[in-house]
Amino acid sequence: MIRMFHVDKIYPNRIVALKDINVHIKKGEFVFLVGPTGAGKSTFLKLIYRGIIPTRGQVIIDGINISRLKPKYIPYLRRNIGIVFQDFKLLYDRTVYENIAFGLKAIGATNFEIRAQVKKVLNLVGLEHKKKAKPHLLSGGEQQKLCIARAIANEPMILLTDEPTGNLDPDTSWEIMQLLFHINIRGTTIVIASHDKLMVDQAKKRIIRLDRGHIIEDNPKGTY
Amino acid sequence: MIFENFGFYLKEALLSFRRNLLMYFASIMSITVIFIIVGIFLLISLNLNFLLEDLESQFEIVIYLKDDISTTELNNLKNDIASREGVREVTYISKEKAFQRLLKNFEEYKDIFEVIEGNPLPASLEVKTEDSSRIESIAKGIEKLKGIEDVEYNKGFLEKWFKITGFLHWGGIAISILLLVASVLIISNLTRITVYVRRNEIEIMSLMGATRWFIKWPFLIGGFLQGCIGAVIALATLYKIYFLVVDKVQQSIPFLPLITNRIELLPVGLIIVLVGCLIGFLGSMISVGRYILE
Repeated sequence: MIRMFHVDKIYPNRIVALKDINVHIKKGEFVFLVGPTGAGKSTFLKLIYRGIIPTRGQVIIDGINISRLKPKYIPYLRRNIGIVFQDFKLLYDRTVYENIAFGLKAIGATNFEIRAQVKKVLNLVGLEHKKKAKPHLLSGGEQQKLCIARAIANEPMILLTDEPTGNLDPDTSWEIMQLLFHINIRGTTIVIASHDKLMVDQAKKRIIRLDRGHIIEDNPKGTY
Repeated sequence: MIFENFGFYLKEALLSFRRNLLMYFASIMSITVIFIIVGIFLLISLNLNFLLEDLESQFEIVIYLKDDISTTELNNLKNDIASREGVREVTYISKEKAFQRLLKNFEEYKDIFEVIEGNPLPASLEVKTEDSSRIESIAKGIEKLKGIEDVEYNKGFLEKWFKITGFLHWGGIAISILLLVASVLIISNLTRITVYVRRNEIEIMSLMGATRWFIKWPFLIGGFLQGCIGAVIALATLYKIYFLVVDKVQQSIPFLPLITNRIELLPVGLIIVLVGCLIGFLGSMISVGRYILE
């Protein structure tokens, strides 16, 4: 599903974010990306959704070399990838329903499809009763669930999440993790960049450990 | 693509208007003020041209004829001049008519004219040209013809006249260009602010997999509407101000030629609205591209 071959990413200010990364994440895998701040976790995620292009090497998503993807095809790549951001990136002047519908409309879904799909994902994350609320009235955990709902609304093959439990209490964090496990069981490949030692240890999933741009550990059932 | 989702684009554009009312109001008002200034300038320049054309149409060449010119020679001369390129009209003024004119124009000196024996004035041909800039070349061509005593066309005055009108013309073009460039820059900056306010939406749409044009259209429609509304308000204001000023001017200087025909002013209105829409559209086009992630 996700392959990287000898990938380097050097930013214009000459900071080496990733160096000689070789990795293979299979379809349906659940992977934690761990490591200290500045290790290259966010850069790793950005390379997958083509937010940036590698300085050297190849990134292959579902058989397509996205390092060479023409700009006009990028939107179609992103339709297969759901992204949950650390800072949520919600539209605070729109309701919960509209936040999800907005993303679906952006990829050309019909109004009928949008209604059905929004209902489905809101049920899945347990926010159906808050569909008319504006995001600022939701708790941190609920906002995170809304982000996840938006990211999976178009049923992507891959879900990328950056610190999904970053600012949440342990109970809510575990609830979010359960939700992500559930999504994973349905076949979605999940890559999580995380600092949350407790969650990583409890999950017992594959861990890719980054340090100063290098992969220093790739363990199928690792701990933080 | 635009027709397929036009309803959505328009809805998004109007939603953005509603949610950022104050900002859009400020933007539209700025566009209005710019176009009022551009419009005032256009109207002044149009009227100035109108006035110059009116004055220029009164310029003429006067050809004084020899006293002994025969009727055949006179007719030949008249036909020759009338057939020349750029000549609009040739009028023959006989010796008698010239004297009558003199008497009429200087009635208060009637006593002096009565003392003069006979008619000392020569007969003449008054030549009006199609384009006042050709007066000198036409006059020079006529000078050498047979039966002519003298050709007069106010050489010094014409030279000064063309210097002044040339200066006004090029000065007008330069100021118009400056105003237009300024308005493009101001509108482009205003749009940049409206786009900046909505950068989150642009980024989300882009990350969700929306195409560039899908993201751009609501902004382009918004920009188009801002430009259009601003220009229309400017136009309505200009219309009121212009006819108010024209009324006042005509009351105090009745003989001053001014454009009062609304059809002649129509192009100014059309230009303002079209340029308004175009600038709004282009301004958004430049600004929105910056926030689309690639």
